Amino acid sequence: MILNHQTLPANGNINPYAFCIDVTGEMLIRKGKMIAYYGSLRFEALGAGPFEVLVNEVLNSPLQARNFVVVTGRGKLILGDRGHNLASYDLEDGSLTIRSENVLGFQPSLACHESIIPGYLTLLGTGSFVASSNGPVHFLEPPVKVDEDALLGWADMPAPSYRYDYNYVRGALRTVGALVKGWGTGEEKQLDFSGNGTVLIQASERGVQR
Amino acid sequence: MPQYSLINSKMLSIKLHGEEVYAKRGSMIAYTGQVDFAPSSSGSEGLGGRAMRSVTGEQMSLMSARGTGEVLYAFYGLHVTLIQLSGETFFAESESLLAYDGRLRSGTQFMGSGGMQGMLRGAATGSGLFTTTLEGAGELAIVSDGDSFALDVTHDRPIFVDPQAYIGHRGQLQSNIVTDVGWKSFVGQSSGESYQLKFTGLGTVYIQAAERGGNR
Repeated sequence: MILNHQTLPANGNINPYAFCIDVTGEMLIRKGKMIAYYGSLRFEALGAGPFEVLVNEVLNSPLQARNFVVVTGRGKLILGDRGHNLASYDLEDGSLTIRSENVLGFQPSLACHESIIPGYLTLLGTGSFVASSNGPVHFLEPPVKVDEDALLGWADMPAPSYRYDYNYVRGALRTVGALVKGWGTGEEKQLDFSGNGTVLIQASERGVQR
Repeated sequence: MPQYSLINSKMLSIKLHGEEVYAKRGSMIAYTGQVDFAPSSSGSEGLGGRAMRSVTGEQMSLMSARGTGEVLYAFYGLHVTLIQLSGETFFAESESLLAYDGRLRSGTQFMGSGGMQGMLRGAATGSGLFTTTLEGAGELAIVSDGDSFALDVTHDRPIFVDPQAYIGHRGQLQSNIVTDVGWKSFVGQSSGESYQLKFTGLGTVYIQAAERGGNR
């Protein structure tokens, strides 16, 4: 199957791992995730150039702004991320907190805030964004407990808290537990979600080392 | 004539009837019948090609399989794509090449004809100034991280590609490096994105949805 600028999907998946954006105005994308493009597009850092409005209203966290660039112009832009699964999501007057490195691009109608949880950012407002995940995203309803590595994000709900396995706590409080490292199943600490909303999980944060 | 077929998206089967197939070293996962395996550094390119390869440093780590039977190939769970050639030349990143056979002539091609720009291309792709070429009529198999896909290039529609996502190309294409001033003007912006490969002409470019050298 050979694609060209006309047969490429406008804002859709080429395959599970590559996503094509039809750029007509401004778009913010994560640095280094462009794999190809047709047309006349310009990639500019947020810090330099005529993007003061964007910095002020859309992305004012220096930590996150460093990871994103502004795409302007007209063309078809293809994103890819380490062979992870890519998909586009729509927010409607919503709030979504998501692992920062999995956000590949978003419309400037969304505001991007730095989350109080390190490594996460919060998207607020109405618009669409493209995110990657290791395997397809699975949606869960609270109450649910999630492994930290598998967590991708959560929408329209309070931030999670840590929950420790009862046996782990009992063991850790004993002297033996404090002395012996590496005991247990590695599953004794989970993130506990409660309230209303949606939790997004993936197969794992990390791919297989090779 | 060896018969190529995909068992699934990540596993390749080649049926041999006495021919010789060249494949990435370490990619054989199973075989049936009488097949002999031997290391090969140059594939089907003869003595001159071998000398060229040792001089240019465009190394391929290949093994050959000869005999009668079926050989299964896979490489670290990467996706496999079959490409059919009918007389033209395919330019490949040597590390993306999984298998081909004696019907295709392999060689090396100097890509740095653009002087400084050619140098940059080598530096950006990390694979030197030379690329591996396969010419003839037959199949070849490439591996990619994530599904690979092909993008058309026409005279009025050039394409810009991240060098780390580039797998190969075919057709009458000129490649050169373009740098986006906007990218470079920002401190610390050396994520490999400041260089883009621009392909112009008439042909097809194959890319993968992952950046080589990226940590997973």
